[in-house]
Amino acid sequence: MKHWLWVLFIVVLCVSCLVGATAINPLQMSPVERNILLDLRVPRVLFSAVIGAMLGLSGSVYQLTLKNPLADSFTTGAASSAALGAILAIALGAPSALVPVFALATGIAGLTLVYRLSITAGFINPVTMILAGIVMNIVASAVISFSKYYFEESISSIVFWLMGGFFIVGWGRLTVCSVVFLLIYLFFRQRALQLNLLALDEYSAQTMGVDVHRLRSLAFVAATLLVGIAVSYTGIIGFVGLIVPHIARSLFGSDMRRNLLYSSLLGALLLVSADTVARVIIPGGAELPVGIITALLGGIFFLYLLQTRRERFWHG
Amino acid sequence: MADLQVENLHFNRGDFSLHIESLWVKSGEKIAVMGENGCGKSTLLQLLCGLLTPDAGTISYSGTDLTMVPMPKRAELFSLLPQVAEVIFPFSVYEVVLFGRFPHCTANCFSAEDEEQSLYLLERLDLLELKDRHFNQLSGGEQRRTMLARVLNQQTQIIYMDEPNASLDIRHTMDIFRLLTLRSETLISSVHDINLAHRFFDRFLFLKQGVLLADVIRNDVTPELLAETYNVQVTIGTAAFEFQR
Repeated sequence: MKHWLWVLFIVVLCVSCLVGATAINPLQMSPVERNILLDLRVPRVLFSAVIGAMLGLSGSVYQLTLKNPLADSFTTGAASSAALGAILAIALGAPSALVPVFALATGIAGLTLVYRLSITAGFINPVTMILAGIVMNIVASAVISFSKYYFEESISSIVFWLMGGFFIVGWGRLTVCSVVFLLIYLFFRQRALQLNLLALDEYSAQTMGVDVHRLRSLAFVAATLLVGIAVSYTGIIGFVGLIVPHIARSLFGSDMRRNLLYSSLLGALLLVSADTVARVIIPGGAELPVGIITALLGGIFFLYLLQTRRERFWHG
Repeated sequence: MADLQVENLHFNRGDFSLHIESLWVKSGEKIAVMGENGCGKSTLLQLLCGLLTPDAGTISYSGTDLTMVPMPKRAELFSLLPQVAEVIFPFSVYEVVLFGRFPHCTANCFSAEDEEQSLYLLERLDLLELKDRHFNQLSGGEQRRTMLARVLNQQTQIIYMDEPNASLDIRHTMDIFRLLTLRSETLISSVHDINLAHRFFDRFLFLKQGVLLADVIRNDVTPELLAETYNVQVTIGTAAFEFQR
């Protein structure tokens, strides 16, 4: 099963590199096609894979630390508040290297607000959390739209920020994302056993020697760093982090020692596939923002989770 | 082994306040904490575990103040079975019990010894057939026993339990109380069933509205004391079922 998943991933990567506005036959490439493949397709496919892995990993950590099966960067409001920060940074004329820093700061602020609203006496109310996340999304989207009208010139399209897409890709960004992803993956991997204990109630975890508040705060910052960087480069791509941790859990169990890896892998697989579809679905070479596809999949999955977990949701 | 010493403990939360003048627990004692709902039993256990911060007073283990004991050391010193224990996501019974070994494991993984010990406890608590089931699919009593196994798996010198027999049937209750009281660890547990507590425990703390009403050994538990603690009339008689195991 594990091997097949890796094989599938490699196959999807290769196929994704070859299809698009112009299909490329790797055995008979013209110089132009070779350039398209190496300068555009390959970095883009790798970029979507890394972003997918970042979103999958952050979703896995959010769901566990917030004790909420519906949590991901989008439903917690972290992604939209990070987008808000990125847009403010651009509007204020900050250098582009600082944009992810702004995104991280507002992302953490948004997430903290949602977390504070939903926790009472050590118990996180899952329903309040989702409601607070939705409100966060609405407010952030409103401010983003306002900024777009106010700073007409400097901000790229609203569609980019709210729907997400891989419109600007380069080896530089790809390197930044890969390094950050790898570092944060290792950070979580080293704490996988402790993270597992967060699945228990706070008192049990604490008396087993886990500093719950410290670990949760660290996890929030690290996961939101992934989201902040992903959002500054690709806009809000929702629901990848919602779907893949559940699939990883049902395939390989809930143990975070495996879930971290397979959430990342499945996130990459999902986003590469979604991006491939986004590139070919509109006839004539136009591109769909990839967030539309993930939102469609994610929305249906969200309904499915609500249906199957309804009982437990309302009765704790 | 660790002694527990509490001096002049004060804790306030809203209208509720808890005050313990002085409490000294020697290693290996089996203590039942008794009292009405809301009298401060759970709060006391949480204070002793450092989950709540007292407003005044000291809690010390073998002479070391609790605030000076780092988190991982605490997990070797004492364990807690909270009143409500939950697990999110489908973890198996075996995995949950194995989690109890966390304070003893190094390098991010469990040793063969940890696994052996977990299997032993699963068998001891009558859970071996359930070991691969998901925790959340179990009945309330089975979940309780899983959590008990998790706590015992931690192998600490002091065990705190908040109503360990809640939702357990009489047979498992008696098995578990016998198991707990025959072990060498210090046991401090809140219990609602007075007859059961009287049978298995040596020392009794009676709490009433946040105040330690009495701290007595088994022979000194009188109907008058119970009447005062619980605001009920108490008589000694045999008009009840007797259970042996």
